[in-house]
Amino acid sequence: MTKIKMSLLLGSLLTATALAGTAPKHDLLLCAAINKNYVIGSKIVTQNGIFQRGSDGSFQHIGLNFPSILNLSADPRDPRVFYLATLNGCVFTKDGGQTWRIGTSWDMTEPKDVCVDPNAPDNIYLALPDGIAVSPDRGATWPRRENGLPNRGKYTQTIEVDRTTAGRVLAGCESGIYLTEDGAQSWHRLLPTKAAVDDIEQSPLDPQLWLTVTQSDGAHLSHDGGRTWQKIPGVPADEALYNVAFDATNPQRWAIASWHYGVLTTEDGGHTWTARNAGLPADGHVFKLGIDPDTGRLYVSVYQNAIHVSDDFGRTWRAAGLEGSSVYNFVFVPKTAK
Amino acid sequence: MKAHSLFVSCLAILSSASLYAQPAYEAPPPSRAVVDSADFRRAAYLQRIDEVLTWRVGQLKPDDALLPDMGAIAAKLARHEDADLCSRSVIAQMKEPGSGPFWMFPAVCVAYLGRDQLSPAARQAIRDAWRTQMQLRGDTENHWAMYYTSLYLMSELYPNEPASTWYSGKSSAENLAEARDYLIHWMDLATTIGQGEYTCSHYIGEYAIPMLFLASWAKDPAMRQRSHMMLDWLFADQFANSLNGVLHGANARTDDTGVVERWNCLSSFFSWLLLGNTPPPAGYGGWGVYFAAAAKNYELPEVIYRIGVDRDGDFLQRDLKRTRRRWRNSDVFMAPVYKMNYTRRDYAVGSFQSGLCDPIQTHVWDITWAVPDPRGVHNTMFSMHPVSSSFDMQTYFTEFPDHMMQGVTKEGKASYDSPDKFLGGSRFEQVVQDLDTVIALYDIPPGTRFPHINGFFSKDLVHLTIDKSGWIFAQGGHTYLAYRPLAPYEMLPVAHIKSSWTGERVDSGDKRLYSPHLKNGTIVQAASADEFKSFDAFKTAINALPLEFSLEPNPTVKLITLRGKNIVFTYNQPPQIDGHVRDYASEWKLFQGPYLNAEKNSRRLTLTHGRLQRVLDFNTLTITDTVLPN
Repeated sequence: MTKIKMSLLLGSLLTATALAGTAPKHDLLLCAAINKNYVIGSKIVTQNGIFQRGSDGSFQHIGLNFPSILNLSADPRDPRVFYLATLNGCVFTKDGGQTWRIGTSWDMTEPKDVCVDPNAPDNIYLALPDGIAVSPDRGATWPRRENGLPNRGKYTQTIEVDRTTAGRVLAGCESGIYLTEDGAQSWHRLLPTKAAVDDIEQSPLDPQLWLTVTQSDGAHLSHDGGRTWQKIPGVPADEALYNVAFDATNPQRWAIASWHYGVLTTEDGGHTWTARNAGLPADGHVFKLGIDPDTGRLYVSVYQNAIHVSDDFGRTWRAAGLEGSSVYNFVFVPKTAK
Repeated sequence: MKAHSLFVSCLAILSSASLYAQPAYEAPPPSRAVVDSADFRRAAYLQRIDEVLTWRVGQLKPDDALLPDMGAIAAKLARHEDADLCSRSVIAQMKEPGSGPFWMFPAVCVAYLGRDQLSPAARQAIRDAWRTQMQLRGDTENHWAMYYTSLYLMSELYPNEPASTWYSGKSSAENLAEARDYLIHWMDLATTIGQGEYTCSHYIGEYAIPMLFLASWAKDPAMRQRSHMMLDWLFADQFANSLNGVLHGANARTDDTGVVERWNCLSSFFSWLLLGNTPPPAGYGGWGVYFAAAAKNYELPEVIYRIGVDRDGDFLQRDLKRTRRRWRNSDVFMAPVYKMNYTRRDYAVGSFQSGLCDPIQTHVWDITWAVPDPRGVHNTMFSMHPVSSSFDMQTYFTEFPDHMMQGVTKEGKASYDSPDKFLGGSRFEQVVQDLDTVIALYDIPPGTRFPHINGFFSKDLVHLTIDKSGWIFAQGGHTYLAYRPLAPYEMLPVAHIKSSWTGERVDSGDKRLYSPHLKNGTIVQAASADEFKSFDAFKTAINALPLEFSLEPNPTVKLITLRGKNIVFTYNQPPQIDGHVRDYASEWKLFQGPYLNAEKNSRRLTLTHGRLQRVLDFNTLTITDTVLPN
């Protein structure tokens, strides 16, 4: 594996100093790009890829300077092991970022999501634009696992492992949400959709509670581990919803990011929803959001603008750095995993 | 056209070149006479190569401490000049490597040309860059052709090196195997169901240059042979679709300039270099220097040369291609593209059946007429539905829906979200071509962004006449043209996008037929001026053609063409020609025509011109040249 120039190692950074006051239980890692008008082939003149929140709240670039790192997933057994969903395929490190390897080959491109099974961490699930692959050996091989997926309609935007059960995984595809309970040996559809399922999340507080947002079918809720889904009536469905997040500090608080609707929040478990855009850039578009599981702080990426944060769940906002960025994902990695 | 040597005149032009001039770009257009002598053709080819390299190094300032870019370094190395300067320049360039295939293949070019010229430090700088800078593979067929060609050649240049020495984290052997597998996979697709990015006005370079590099430098004789064959294949296809060296008809991808000034494309560089029958574009198309740097390693087979320049008469070529990968919104991963090319002395008509090959840069059909000098001439006529659609973008790109339409306009596709553009295909256009008749029907759903069609009327048309019959008549070059809009319209001036990168516009003098009707259509007929006593006689003949059409409930046309063919074409139904229902899937071979022939899935292309025949057989990796009996 190659040694890529980088200033600091992921592993060492993940043991960074605690925030002033209470020590956070999670590291915040961003998959982001600050590549306005970047085109393939040009020199990369900005920092792109993974950023880590520092103790002062600023974001420090770590690892590869690569404009298209869309998501990451960490091995809970070893903080030095990370898998990235990138334009080139799944790229991983096993030594805290000293070296990287493009794990997949030419026949897999542009994965949108990657997820380590926390109960079987050798198994890595990869969401591909033409299906799903699963590595059973920590990224060494990547067989496709698509039995039960349709021949067409298996564009997969998001993949989420049920943290309570090894081999139980939900995948958000073009044609709906699919479930496997046998480590992707077979899939069956739980919820049909007209267009892509953009995000699926499991509640950090109640493993039976799941949320999903879609491109054109609105938001849905499941109270039974994803087996059945109910549409959330208060969430608009005319435009795409990009991602959803639970607040681990308050079971009633969830939030949705949408280019058109901005930030939508609920503080009563999904019964009522409020647009919380006052204070965000007027001409901005919300791309992705995340909620700090330690503090309930709401993080929002405004497309090619900056990260904005809110400590009152969207009532007020302030810019928090990374100007010009678009964040593909906010990933909170438990420090306890190390 | 028949052969007369233009060798002497070519040499005269070339030998007058100053260091700084672009002689062929600035000079009168070259003769189109066929050069029969292989020696003369080769000599002229080498002269043209030298012209490119001479011009490229002539751009440099004598007191520059370093060469400014990889193209300059490649040109110097190809001329075996200034090795020390090249070495220093390479070291400087490698301090900030680029990030993908457009950086990789120039680097490979310099690495190979410099194997015995660059200093050890310079060669190490290149090698280090392939360790430290993670390269983006990109997301298009041309990106991957460049990426894997580059990775292949670098892995062969540095064999047996461990994974830790490559950005990919894979060993030389692993890189080589992956690159080889992809390249063979791509060639296999192209030789069975057709290219995805076919007859591209610019992207031809992104295939031809990598194939030339592989054919020149691959150690594996099988890969060298494959690439040589693929280069022949690409040029045969490209030149069969050219009119006096100017690419015409449908393109998987083109750009705002090339779609109307058909000559002004990188494809014309290849016509100039290999056929010698048209001027090269400014700067030799930019990328041309990289082809020129290794071009002496290739010789265009005579049969392809003659397909490009030596046409005895009209010909009809039908080819099978495929779309770009459709990730979603489609029942098929790569849809078939049924392409047609009817070429005559004075004009050519080309099309495919409908839709989008590429979400942004598709060009579906046109009539392009011959001109003595194509520079600055907008020698084409067509209509199209300007699409700006996140749905279509998402079909081909793996992105969220909302940012692409604006974002793409900043990535060299400035016109994408402009209602007056002439670039792009549409799901709501269906086309039938029979010889020199084209019928394009439109059924645009209400609510569609840009609910209108644009017809292109060149500044270079003469005798433009709006007839009370509803036909619009005009003459382009030696070609009479008749254009029948099927719905009301108005003619608007064109502020044409001059730069696909900046979006800068200029008043081009062209006109845009703007028709804001969802159910719509265009009929175009062409004929050589020689076929009629006068322009009025042509108009009379067109007006006499039996024509019925209606737009409700679906656009439909019944026409007996100028060639006496009875066409019935209704939107969403297969066309009927003389009572025969055209079945594209069963009727289209991979290539079918007088010059190029191949069965679908055959991996075997037969090129024929007169008694010359070359068979490119990828099943056996053989090239077989035959002189057919009289």
